[in-house]
Amino acid sequence: MEHASLRLENLTRVFGQTTAVDRVSLDIAPGQFVGVIGRSGAGKSTLLRLINRLIDPTDGKVTFGDTDVTTLKGRALREWRRDCAMIFQQFNLVERLDVLTNVLVGRLAGRGFLSSMAMQFSDEERTMAIQALDRLDLVPQALQRAGTLSGGQQQRVAIARALVQNPRIMLADEPIASLDPGNATRVMEALRTINKEDGLTVLVNLHTLDTAREYCDRIVAMRAGRVMFDGTAVQLTDDVVRDIYGSEGLEEFNEAVTSTAARVRETA
Amino acid sequence: MTTQITDADIAAAKERVPYAFRAPREVILRRRIVYGFMIALFIWCIFDFEFIRVVLFDYDRRTDTWSFEPWQTFYEYNRRTKEWSFNPWLPVERLYAGIYKAQAFFEWPRIDFSWEEWGMIAKGLGETLSMAFLGTVLGAALAFPLGWMGAKNILPLSFIRVPTRRGFDFIRAFETLILAMIFIRAFGLGPLAGILAITVSEIGTFAKLFAEAIENTSEKPVDGVKASGGSALQRIRYAVMPQVNPVILSIILYNFESNTRSGTILGIVGAGGIGFMLSDRIRAYRWDEVWTIIILIIAMVYIIDWLSGRVRQRIIGSWDGAR
Ligand SMILES: Nc1ncnc2c1ncn2[C@@H]1O[C@H](COP(=O)(O)OP(=O)(O)OP(=O)(O)O)[C@@H](O)[C@H]1O
Ligand SMILES: [Mg+2]
Repeated sequence: MEHASLRLENLTRVFGQTTAVDRVSLDIAPGQFVGVIGRSGAGKSTLLRLINRLIDPTDGKVTFGDTDVTTLKGRALREWRRDCAMIFQQFNLVERLDVLTNVLVGRLAGRGFLSSMAMQFSDEERTMAIQALDRLDLVPQALQRAGTLSGGQQQRVAIARALVQNPRIMLADEPIASLDPGNATRVMEALRTINKEDGLTVLVNLHTLDTAREYCDRIVAMRAGRVMFDGTAVQLTDDVVRDIYGSEGLEEFNEAVTSTAARVRETA
Repeated sequence: MTTQITDADIAAAKERVPYAFRAPREVILRRRIVYGFMIALFIWCIFDFEFIRVVLFDYDRRTDTWSFEPWQTFYEYNRRTKEWSFNPWLPVERLYAGIYKAQAFFEWPRIDFSWEEWGMIAKGLGETLSMAFLGTVLGAALAFPLGWMGAKNILPLSFIRVPTRRGFDFIRAFETLILAMIFIRAFGLGPLAGILAITVSEIGTFAKLFAEAIENTSEKPVDGVKASGGSALQRIRYAVMPQVNPVILSIILYNFESNTRSGTILGIVGAGGIGFMLSDRIRAYRWDEVWTIIILIIAMVYIIDWLSGRVRQRIIGSWDGAR
């Protein structure tokens, strides 16, 4: 289980007329930092949601080691979701709950009915949550209401929530798209640290080329639901991008990122 | 940017976004007809219910004929002196006489009650307050599970949800006062009938308001909890309830306020509380005592409003968590 790899085989999802994800096959080795890039509507979010089973595929399957993820149900499905943590562009925290409880939500999959309805957590779990918050420099905010935090802080709370799930894989759907460059850098650095220190597989959607080049071992480029490129950052030259997206596509990618990229180089 | 806008440009823009421009003629016409109708209805009501009395025709019983005599609006006939006299206030005479009579009912409130009598009044006020409290709490407790059943995001199965929602509407169609009169028949005079009337009518109102509050919650935190492996009930507990609980509490407090007011009315039909004493005093023409009670009711309602306003503000600013 520990060193299992994630495989997508002919994964397809159709919404009405549009095929959001079209026969995607990928083999992701444990500990890889994979970036998925592509224009708006390329199917990046749908791909991640399929892996986490927030939505079900129309065709194809996802396997992790020997387990077929696509057939999981009930408790096993909830445990799979715990094992492959997900963070969202809009953070998706419960704003009226305090930061600590938001992090403890990551422990819900293993809890019984009564104790979770009463919002009871053990001292071990609370300590786990505090340690996770400490890794993201958020201990002082632990008892603050999540909605009062800045965007960058909220995204780091979401990462802490993902961490206490003790996941095997970390999925991130455009985690920095609504953050300013400074906060974007902190969030990306946090993901990198988790990847290096804990050996977690990270699969992150990005819409900016430079960020992808800066952080990812491997880059997957999508267009209209299909994988158009799969290789290292070095292989993804401007010429390749121009081939896939046309010259306007290259411009679009570079424009959006320049500020983030500049900050990244500065701090790195 | 001082390019000249040509007629062709305007026509083209109109073609693309017709509703960005002046509404089409038939829309304007329809609007005017609706406004005209509303104004005409208002004016007709003012005259028909004799806020302002206007005489246009006079009926002569002997000859059985109508004659056009608009001057009668300002001239009145005195049977004894058999003379017509001019009175410019004649159109609003009835309104004026009413106000005059109403103020004649005002007497200085009586305060020299014995301790025993004060005790009775306090008991009446307390009874109305507890009727409102118990009715509201019972209604809310029964409506709480129903509200979740009526919310689309909780129960997507429309063959259960839709009949449930229609059920709320059915209950709400019964005015609390009518329910009180029914329950007095069933359970006899006294506060029990009043409490049940408030409870039943609040079930309908609360369940509907709760269901709407639940539907208005954000879906994002729910996805967040789901992606962490939370079960359906855990998603409700951790993502929906924190959003909806303050709203529900504030709805309950607000309706408690309004039930304190309507609880007074229930007393008048015999369902216990201060209203019972009030109607008793009105029947006995004890206007001084009536005014004492009215002032005390106003004070009570005012205090409850103020208190629950403060509580509501605190609830909205607060949050819960795993403590
Ligand atoms: N729930 C849904 N119902 C219908 N269509 C959907 C749904 N979710 C996604 N789609 C469609 O699937 C396609 C891919 O959407 P997706 O959100 O995966 O793109 P994306 O690459 O994440 O884009 P963005 O960068 O804008 O987030 C789009 O055409 C979208 O309209
Ligand atoms: Mg997306």
